[in-house]
Amino acid sequence: MLEARELTIKYGERIAVAGVSIVLKPGEISAIIGPNGAGKSTFLEALNGQLEPASGVVLIDGQPLQKFNRRTIGRRIAVVAQEAELRFPVTVLEFVLGGRFAWAANASWGWETDHDITVANEVLHETELAELSGRLMNELSGGERQRAVLARALATEAAVLLLDEPTANLDLSHQSTLLALVRNRCDNQGAAALVVTHDINLAAEFADNVLLMKDGKSINSGKPQEVLTPSLLRDAFEIRVLVDAHPVTGVPRVTPVHETRRQV
Amino acid sequence: MCLILVLVFYLGCSGKHSAPETSPTVRDVTDDAGRRVVLPLRIDRVISLAPNLTEITFAIGAGDRLVGRTSYCNFPSEAKTVAEVGDTLHPNLERIIALRPQLVLISTASQLEVFTHQLESQNIPVFVTDPHDLEGVFRSIDQLGTILGQGNQAKQLVDHLRARTAAVAEALKQTRPVTVFYQLSAEPLYTAGHDAFVTDLIRRAGGRSVTAEVPGAWPKYSAESALAARPEAIVLPTGGSMGEGNSAVAEALQRSPAAIQGKVYKINDDLLVRPGPRAIDGLEEMARALHPDAFKQ
Amino acid sequence: MTVIESHRNRSRTVYAASYNRTTLRKTLIACAVLTGALLLTVIMMSLVGSEHLPASASLCALFSFGRSQCALTTDQFDILFQIRLPRILLAAAVGGSLATAGASYQALLRNPLAEPYLLGISNGAAVGTMVALVFFGGNEWSRPLLAFVGALLATLAVYRLARGRAGATPERLVLAGVIVTTFLSSVIVFVTTLMDATRIRSFTFWLLGDLSGTSKNLLPVAIAIAIVGTVVLAANARSLNLLMLGERDAFDLGVEVGKVRIVVFVVASLLVGSSVAASGSVGYVGLVVPHLARLSLGSDNRLSIPAAALGGAVFVIVADTVARTMIAPRELPVGAITALIGAPLFIYLLKRT
Repeated sequence: MLEARELTIKYGERIAVAGVSIVLKPGEISAIIGPNGAGKSTFLEALNGQLEPASGVVLIDGQPLQKFNRRTIGRRIAVVAQEAELRFPVTVLEFVLGGRFAWAANASWGWETDHDITVANEVLHETELAELSGRLMNELSGGERQRAVLARALATEAAVLLLDEPTANLDLSHQSTLLALVRNRCDNQGAAALVVTHDINLAAEFADNVLLMKDGKSINSGKPQEVLTPSLLRDAFEIRVLVDAHPVTGVPRVTPVHETRRQV
Repeated sequence: MCLILVLVFYLGCSGKHSAPETSPTVRDVTDDAGRRVVLPLRIDRVISLAPNLTEITFAIGAGDRLVGRTSYCNFPSEAKTVAEVGDTLHPNLERIIALRPQLVLISTASQLEVFTHQLESQNIPVFVTDPHDLEGVFRSIDQLGTILGQGNQAKQLVDHLRARTAAVAEALKQTRPVTVFYQLSAEPLYTAGHDAFVTDLIRRAGGRSVTAEVPGAWPKYSAESALAARPEAIVLPTGGSMGEGNSAVAEALQRSPAAIQGKVYKINDDLLVRPGPRAIDGLEEMARALHPDAFKQ
Repeated sequence: MTVIESHRNRSRTVYAASYNRTTLRKTLIACAVLTGALLLTVIMMSLVGSEHLPASASLCALFSFGRSQCALTTDQFDILFQIRLPRILLAAAVGGSLATAGASYQALLRNPLAEPYLLGISNGAAVGTMVALVFFGGNEWSRPLLAFVGALLATLAVYRLARGRAGATPERLVLAGVIVTTFLSSVIVFVTTLMDATRIRSFTFWLLGDLSGTSKNLLPVAIAIAIVGTVVLAANARSLNLLMLGERDAFDLGVEVGKVRIVVFVVASLLVGSSVAASGSVGYVGLVVPHLARLSLGSDNRLSIPAAALGGAVFVIVADTVARTMIAPRELPVGAITALIGAPLFIYLLKRT
């Protein structure tokens, strides 16, 4: 569905991403993990055209990204990123309806159709924001706002979801809910998702594939069990880790071993 | 011996602070701002910060004692050889000090009195004149005559100017005042108000300024009111320090009786706004324009 | 969840959720009301002025569109149709243009404080007009044209100055705007002091605005630009709604960010240029009116842009009526009145948010 081949992205002379490839298939969640500055977010930004790669190509449904205009891309790829500051009062419903923009019949004029409203309400329901739909966005808590951002992305009905640290502001329960939602989309509607995250265990729990990056390069990619090994993780993060199996779900569980510990 | 020397020294040095000596070398005058100004009897270095005062200074024969003028002081032609100290609104204090004047002349027609304080703080005597009308001009001439020791010339000048003024008044005795609109600029529309010097000239020239009661000197005027005023004559000051700009009648006045009958008179603005000797020239020119029949010989 | 349950949930949420949304119907109603208010203002304010006109005769003449003199004297008729009405229409064009430009800048730059004057765009237009007056004095059309160029250049300067590594954040934009505005103000004062005042007008004209004089030719141009500009910007309202919440988000959701940015900059510069060429800088309109519109009608630009245009027209007509009657027959600069009304109003608005 979405494929990136040998992407190299540069900031001026500095190489942020060097020859990284990935394939996102319907129904699968892929996760990108790695230390700060590994180029994870940069890589994600190139996947919907936000950044121009210096070399390599991004293909959506087999066609290069450049062939499509922004609206078409907007219909096929949705991004959940750290939301920008909200300087103007806007209700949750209005915010989520923004996701229907790419489906507007006209280039940028026009009003939301009944179908748009229906989709928006469904998505608000899915993300448990239905009661808050009339409230202003800046009255919401950080976690609720993050769910609204996800709701907006889901409202685009895009088949590919790119998520950049979506669980950063969420409590444990909502972290789980959010990713469960994504999982749901992928399982039931055949979406493909890519999640950039710092939370390795969450990635292990929900992802079908994991890509480990460091210094702009891909260290390893594959199933969580293959990638989340102590030696690979130590090379990437320069910290000793223990990997065992989660007692309940059986997925790999990564526990860091901190070298300097408080004197007990 | 030392005591006597010290005493003599002390008395000599404190001479400035003690009572004036037997023969006066200074005089006490009051200017139009009510300020008491102490001046030397003989003034050889005077700076004028107003074009009208420059003209008066030359007219009473004291032009050779002028050491500084503003950039607008363009009359008489001899004035142009005098050093410039800036324009009327922003005189250059350093240059003024460098010229070591014994007196600086200021006219409220040209400046704000703010500058007075700056000069005073430098211990430079300042004399402020405040002429609002023609009588004020005569008074200014008298004052400068007294200050610069040219009393006789000043009196002669005033007498001559009064005679000309009287002649105009005499010629206009049987005439009815003509309504006049004084257009300072067309867009935006500015005119002469109650406090403008030219308002008095218009009255003496046998006119009645339709804006004579408007408060202020140079008010920005409503186009509607200008149209409704239907002046019989329009005076356009132009060609002097103002340049050639103001040569067209404002749109609101284009259907006034003045414009329709062609009674639009362009007069050198320097003659109408400077409270000096040439104001009589302006007066005569305006009177002749407004009442041509009264001046036919 | 059964079908019936989910359906019930859906209709419940539809009812609750559609309450705050800006719909087409809401927009049309609001615009109709505001248009009515504008027409009423035009009519009422044309009955007011430094010269007294009989009300019923004036109304009769107005409604006959000038075809009948209706018991007005020739002078009164001229005052109404040659002086007052054109001035009111100019005020409407200037107010509508500046408010729309302000609303668009605020949305595009994600900054509620973005305003043509604060960003230096008005002064850029002023310098452009001064160049036109000095070098092309005879040609009237050169003024709005060069004002537009000046506004555009000022916009580019501000945008360039504001571009940091993180993009043009609103804070950097305001800073850049202040730099450009103060610099250009000094240029204006410098030039007006040096040059023959009658040729280029005093700096109170430029910095405080003046609606008293515009040629008969330029008025229809100003009105046309105001209308066309508002329509074009309103047509981009949906994109602006998204841009208002983040440039990156808007891009991801399908907005052609670069294209919209160019359209807004160019059209808004045209609006500001035409206003400043006709009447100097009238401040606060682009700041206060869009705020008022958003506070009362919501942030959706599909409504707040047309509402700002209509509201701005009303605001400047009223302010100019005060300017030309308060000390009649003398006149005040209209920018002084918009500031006197606008500043306290803005403080009040700030406190409410």
